[in-house]
Amino acid sequence: MISSTAQKRIDAILNHALLIIFSIVMIFPIAYALMTSFKTRGDVITSPPTFFPPTWTLEGYQKVWESDMLTHYLPNTAKNSVLSSLVTVPLAALAAYSFSRYKFRGSVALQVAILGLMMIPGLTNLIALYQMGSQLKLLSTTTIMVVVYTAGGLPFTIWIIKGFFDAIPRELEEAAFIDGCSPLQALWYIVVPLARPGLFAGFLMMLVDTWNEFLAAVILLSTNDSRTAMAGLYDFQSSFQVAYHVQTAACIIIAAPVVISFILGRKVFFQAMLEGALKG
Amino acid sequence: MTTSKRTKSLSLTTSKDTRLANLFPFGLVLPAVVILALVQIYPTLYSLYLSTTRMRAGKLTSVGIKNFERLLASSDFFESLQRTVVFAGSYLILTVVLGLILALLLNRRSALTPVYLVMVFIPWVLSDVVSGTIWRWMFNQSYGLIQVALNPLLDNKSILSNNDTAMMVVIAASVWRTLAFTALLFLGALQTIPGEVLEAAALDGANRWQSFWRVTFPMMRPTLLVVILITSIRGINSLGLILSTTSGGPGAGTTTAAVYLYRTAWQFGDFGVAAAMAVFLFIVNLILTIFYLRVVRVENNL
Repeated sequence: MISSTAQKRIDAILNHALLIIFSIVMIFPIAYALMTSFKTRGDVITSPPTFFPPTWTLEGYQKVWESDMLTHYLPNTAKNSVLSSLVTVPLAALAAYSFSRYKFRGSVALQVAILGLMMIPGLTNLIALYQMGSQLKLLSTTTIMVVVYTAGGLPFTIWIIKGFFDAIPRELEEAAFIDGCSPLQALWYIVVPLARPGLFAGFLMMLVDTWNEFLAAVILLSTNDSRTAMAGLYDFQSSFQVAYHVQTAACIIIAAPVVISFILGRKVFFQAMLEGALKG
Repeated sequence: MTTSKRTKSLSLTTSKDTRLANLFPFGLVLPAVVILALVQIYPTLYSLYLSTTRMRAGKLTSVGIKNFERLLASSDFFESLQRTVVFAGSYLILTVVLGLILALLLNRRSALTPVYLVMVFIPWVLSDVVSGTIWRWMFNQSYGLIQVALNPLLDNKSILSNNDTAMMVVIAASVWRTLAFTALLFLGALQTIPGEVLEAAALDGANRWQSFWRVTFPMMRPTLLVVILITSIRGINSLGLILSTTSGGPGAGTTTAAVYLYRTAWQFGDFGVAAAMAVFLFIVNLILTIFYLRVVRVENNL
């Protein structure tokens, strides 16, 4: 029989081995895309293909540079993403404060409805939104994207922020009320500073979700001037066909901001996701 | 005169104050509720209306339940539903099983745990189109690395040109993209299980297999239910990744109901029938959501 310390040793090694396999499988497609983005056009269409570029070049990035990606599509994405996050977080914070601190008629029903909206995907609303947008002449505008993204992000953001508010003891606000603070002042001067990580988490999740959003963007925006990075990248599939060094270079450029902010803010991300999906 | 006015306004403010105090919490949620009502609830009702209309000469005309009749008579629709069952079913099983395994592996803390967490999580922060572009490239018929590596096994058959293998690719890509999120939910649940419970089981002579099935697994059941419901809804409504990996092809090989809805509206311009599909899918989502709310409400005493 194997001694228990030896058994523990074997377990630990096996555990690491399996996690390394998982990590490699998860990272491989991204690494391959990164390597492809540094290949020449000729090396992309070489058979058999290689993982590493035989000659390193920035040709792919240069082609992206010459396209509308950096001048139009990415700025549009950034604009829609930042604006809708800036609108969503304050509105969500007000609602979250109310749900966290007050019991009023219909409060539970509203919270359940918001949870329900969080679960139901936007897909089934797209046809109606497209028709509404076309009647209101709002297609291909920043306004419609901000409104649609705000409505899409509110339920989740309310839920994340409410979780953080719930964790702040009420005694602090009660002391402030005695000193003559109004509820809004208490929210602004006491709760908001303490819940800053939660507001940041909500903001970051909104930024990532809207940055990556594809369907609403491709359906509601039809002009080249309003097109976002994701829709632009989707168009690259037909305009650059087999020039995958260009397509993957675009992928890297588009994904880099999100991946970097995830790596820097990972703790906030993990907490927000657990908060949003389960505690909610 | 001034005094009386002052008293009057004073008494007014007191009664107003209580009324305001009652309205205050409602006022805080009002902006969010208005936006959700206009941009989430109203479009759902409007879809219901659109599903009973058809565009004729640029005008919406009422056609009753004809769109639903056409939908039910269409074999394309039923085939797309079958593909949704295959896609969402495989996606669900793989995500839950692999997600649970990954969570159990990550639950054994080591100095490297944060590194593993970041590595497995990166696909989750990529967008559908970025992921789709990369997977499409790995399986490119002539130059894709995975396609070429698998050529000897497949007699050089193109993976994305065959219905079954193309379906496997979109399932794999979807699992790859969302696996870490599921693992994180499981990991959260694993960490709420007190160590003493597992130690007690070990003292009673339970081996690890027994203590997993008799202690850990039952304690994770609520999370498991939530994960199953979230993953099912995701699978059924999955569209962006499939579009950008295979465009629903080859032919209609990966055209699930969600892809079919998209094609019906934006490729064939048949918004009435597409709205009927949206209503159908919405009802499916609603049923799953009601189950989800039941689980979550019990957990949160809402």
